[in-house]
Amino acid sequence: MKKLGLVFLVLILAGSFSETAAQKKGRAVVCFQSDMDCTNCEQTLYEYLKFEKGVKDLKVDHASNTIFIEYAEKKNDDKSIAQAIEKKGYKAQKITKKEYDELVEHSKEHGHEHGHEVHRER
Amino acid sequence: MKILGIVLLMSLPFVTFSQVLEGTVYGNEDGEKQPLPGVNIYWQGTNRGVASVGDGSFKIKKGPRDHMLVFSFVGYEHQEIHVHDLDPVEVILEPNIELGEVKVVHKNRGTYLSAIDPIQTERINGAELHKAACCNLAESFETNPSVDVSYSDAVTGAKQIRLLGLEGTYSLLQIENMPNLRGLATNFGLTYVPGPWMESIQISKGAASVLNGYESIAGQINAEYKKPDADEKLFLNTFFGASGRLEFNGNGNIRVYKDVLSTGIFVHASDQSKKNDESGNGFLDEPLSRQIQVMNRWKYNNHKGYMAQAGFNVLTEDRLGGQTAFERGMEPLITNPYGINIENDRLEGFFKTGYVWPNQRTALAWMSNFSRHETRSFYGLNHYDADETRFYANAVLTRDLDKSGAHSLNAGVSFIYDSFNESLYDNKMEHKEQVPGVFAEYTLKPSDHFTFMTGIRADFHNLFGTFVTPRMHLRYMINDHVTIRANAGRGYRTANVISENNYLLASSRELKWIENVFQEKAWNYGLALVQKYTLWERELQLNAEYFRTDFQTQLVVDRETSASNIILAPLDGKSYSNSLQFDVRYEPVERLDILVAYRHNDVKQTIAGRLMEKPLISRYKGLINLNYTTNLKKWMFDYTVQFNGGGRIARYPTENLSIASASDDDEFSPYTVMNAQVTKYFRYWNIYLGAENFTDFKQKNPVAGADDPFGPRFDATNVWGPIKGRRVYLGLRFSLNHQ
Repeated sequence: MKKLGLVFLVLILAGSFSETAAQKKGRAVVCFQSDMDCTNCEQTLYEYLKFEKGVKDLKVDHASNTIFIEYAEKKNDDKSIAQAIEKKGYKAQKITKKEYDELVEHSKEHGHEHGHEVHRER
Repeated sequence: MKILGIVLLMSLPFVTFSQVLEGTVYGNEDGEKQPLPGVNIYWQGTNRGVASVGDGSFKIKKGPRDHMLVFSFVGYEHQEIHVHDLDPVEVILEPNIELGEVKVVHKNRGTYLSAIDPIQTERINGAELHKAACCNLAESFETNPSVDVSYSDAVTGAKQIRLLGLEGTYSLLQIENMPNLRGLATNFGLTYVPGPWMESIQISKGAASVLNGYESIAGQINAEYKKPDADEKLFLNTFFGASGRLEFNGNGNIRVYKDVLSTGIFVHASDQSKKNDESGNGFLDEPLSRQIQVMNRWKYNNHKGYMAQAGFNVLTEDRLGGQTAFERGMEPLITNPYGINIENDRLEGFFKTGYVWPNQRTALAWMSNFSRHETRSFYGLNHYDADETRFYANAVLTRDLDKSGAHSLNAGVSFIYDSFNESLYDNKMEHKEQVPGVFAEYTLKPSDHFTFMTGIRADFHNLFGTFVTPRMHLRYMINDHVTIRANAGRGYRTANVISENNYLLASSRELKWIENVFQEKAWNYGLALVQKYTLWERELQLNAEYFRTDFQTQLVVDRETSASNIILAPLDGKSYSNSLQFDVRYEPVERLDILVAYRHNDVKQTIAGRLMEKPLISRYKGLINLNYTTNLKKWMFDYTVQFNGGGRIARYPTENLSIASASDDDEFSPYTVMNAQVTKYFRYWNIYLGAENFTDFKQKNPVAGADDPFGPRFDATNVWGPIKGRRVYLGLRFSLNHQ
């Protein structure tokens, strides 16, 4: 029975390593621009979308108003995912990964700048 | 740098061309402004909002019709401001008196050590409570390094906790910051707090603040129930144990009037009707039991400084244990099998209220609770019946003494009324405690890095006279990585000799006691060092702590003097506990949290004229807890292993004093217990499957003299290890939030 504990431990560790290795096979990525505005909306959408079929990775960000979803191609498609977002009452305008990266980058700079600005005021 | 500034300034118009309001949110921490991250900020009547970031700053888009900006954050008073233009705003949130204890909670970690609180405190939140089957408060500590949970005896199913190696009675148990589950509820009280009802637990070690009373010698454990104005609308939980345990928990919140008045309804039912005797000694490993509990609580908050909460709780419980052949309805007779029956009925009520003056510098809080508890029980031929009526009230005035809030004062009055009627064997006993008290506590917090808190209280006890309780706490943050804490304090406690030790009746030895109510006194000192480092971009937490408790008077359970009695007598000599603990928390791989802890217990007591190790206490405890969640937290895996050290078993005295030479029977060996659980999350519900004690380790012969329970050697109270073997369970949780 003690071995069972060991097996469990190995499983946990193995699980955590294999994940990084197995990525990107048969996966599709889709990005959207949305209109969330608030953290609550971000949370709601995150909790909702992560349980859409085949979703493997997900980033929802209200600051840049973007959604990034990686999913198993066989289980879902871009259109159904967009519908899921709309069902929760948010805009789902499809954008390219490049546009997504730019938006996120832009919003990060935005935050950064803001930090400096505060310093200047004091 | 200048050029960078100019560049930034130049690019500013491009990012702020839409109307954006900026500002910073602070929390008032004892009069000092502390940036407050994570505050929800939104325009009233809309769902457009943001959260403040690390330095408390935020940015929010302002539409033409947006005027009222709302700030809300758990543990702080809700605040609204009127916005006319786009000038940066600065807002200071006042801590909510009712939640004064709660500080910013780290989102993903189940347990964390606060660096802000002057008292060494561990906080267990909802995430951690999901890690164990967690049927009730007693089982919530499985993954916790500081609290030990053990069986009191082999027949009643009562569980007790130990903090710093000392019995749970030396820790102040609170529900929502009010003392609770004491007196008659001492033995089974931990099973009266259903896990799914709880929102969080705080464990603080060492003598606590005087505001909470003169008790809390070893520490304080506070459980917070879910709040009626929380986001959760409905929660349901069912649990099936392979050993025949069934459980149902549910709670629902109703917003009666906007966010001003809300109510929560809580239900719990559990049942064990399958007889288990894995050890084959003819005794049930756990009693057949049934518990039903209902609670209703209300909360009123006008968001202008006034708040009130009230509620009540009804509980009924029945336990039937002993020999497997003992059936419900059988008379406790020597001609029948040995049986144990315990019936508890309990009614509780509470009311608390608070008001914060508009200048935000003065606050008044009132907390009170009431309980009525009735017990009818027999352990073989021993009958114990009792009832208890208890009332507690506490009024505290909090005031900042200066503008910066570096000096603040808490002062107030309290009152305890506790009335007992008991009957055991042929004795009828009653006693009544009436204790008015006054207290004051001064806090010096000149900066974020330093807090000094000292308090004193005087209580005027109708039985024990006047006594004074001094307490002191110090916290110093040496640098960003190292925080040191020290505390010293005196504590007192009323030992209700019979009600707290009635599980000892599951023995053929008759209880012998001198007084049925008795005051215990002790000093407690502690030193703790918390270190936080960033190692490969992840936080590494190291904690070391040492606590010492010295008893001047104590109730000693003496099983070693007499072969025919268990003697409950006042301490005559020394009694102390040294507890040294180390723990390390780290995330070596993404989403894998590891906790490794070790504690050394040195608990000694003068029993029968000799300073000896207190029996049935492990000399050390090691714990490893692993928690892994998959990406997006769809699966969660938990594994805990506890290494419990050996300890002493009370020597059974023989009539001719030729004590069997230190045989194995005087000592129990170290043992290991493992628990594991897998949880799968779905959108509205989750399912968990686990096993407790899956290596199936059990104490051998937990019931001495099991073959002759009415004979002189019968004793089911020498318990040091698990009685129940492997327990596989399956549970479901369903939750629905307010949108």
